[in-house]
Amino acid sequence: MSFQQKNITLSLVNFILILGFFLFRLIQMFNSDSFTPASVFRLWGITIGLAIVVTIIGTILTHIVSAIIEAIRTGNEDPKIEDFEDERDQLIDLKGTRITYTVSSIGVFLSMLTFVFDQPPLVMFTLLIFFGVVAQIVGDISRLVLYRRGF
Amino acid sequence: MGKSRISNNIRKLRFNHSEMTQQQLAERVGVTRQTIIAMEQEKYSPSLELAFRIALVFGVPLEEVFSYDAGAVKANEA
Repeated sequence: MSFQQKNITLSLVNFILILGFFLFRLIQMFNSDSFTPASVFRLWGITIGLAIVVTIIGTILTHIVSAIIEAIRTGNEDPKIEDFEDERDQLIDLKGTRITYTVSSIGVFLSMLTFVFDQPPLVMFTLLIFFGVVAQIVGDISRLVLYRRGF
Repeated sequence: MGKSRISNNIRKLRFNHSEMTQQQLAERVGVTRQTIIAMEQEKYSPSLELAFRIALVFGVPLEEVFSYDAGAVKANEA
């Protein structure tokens, strides 16, 4: 597994955990009748903040763990990690980003549809963040599939 | 995604060049080893620039490294 694949796998795990946390908090809100603008926007902030922080920490962790594994494997104290992106990595990343944007766009459209069914704006905002995280997960899965297939 | 219409002799050329490893070739052309593996399995067609760099490493013309299956294209068009 290349460095890029490890990084994507970690991102995938992180975003699945973030989605789990988001859904868990949402169910808690419904059960305790606290589905209010204040609590939903707080959850928005926490989810976006978590996504940014976890992505940065994840990338740093992948570097450290890759270096440790490579050092153990080769016995070299200063191991070389193939962390650069070549043309194939960039193409796979572009395809993944395109899929992420497509899912995200469909999500925005579906979120807007809630107005048609007379739902409050809060539902739209909740669905927006939900589809944002789902889009990232689908994009990461598609990148991993492309790596497994070769391209 | 299946095999591409572009086939190559990279594996054969590596062995003819003092059994060059995939890692050595990857370092000389500036890509990752995974990209060399994908090319050898004909799952990935390189850019024109990378194709020229590979041909330069082996010191052979481009046509000796890569070949294009025009028959498959005609069969698809028919």
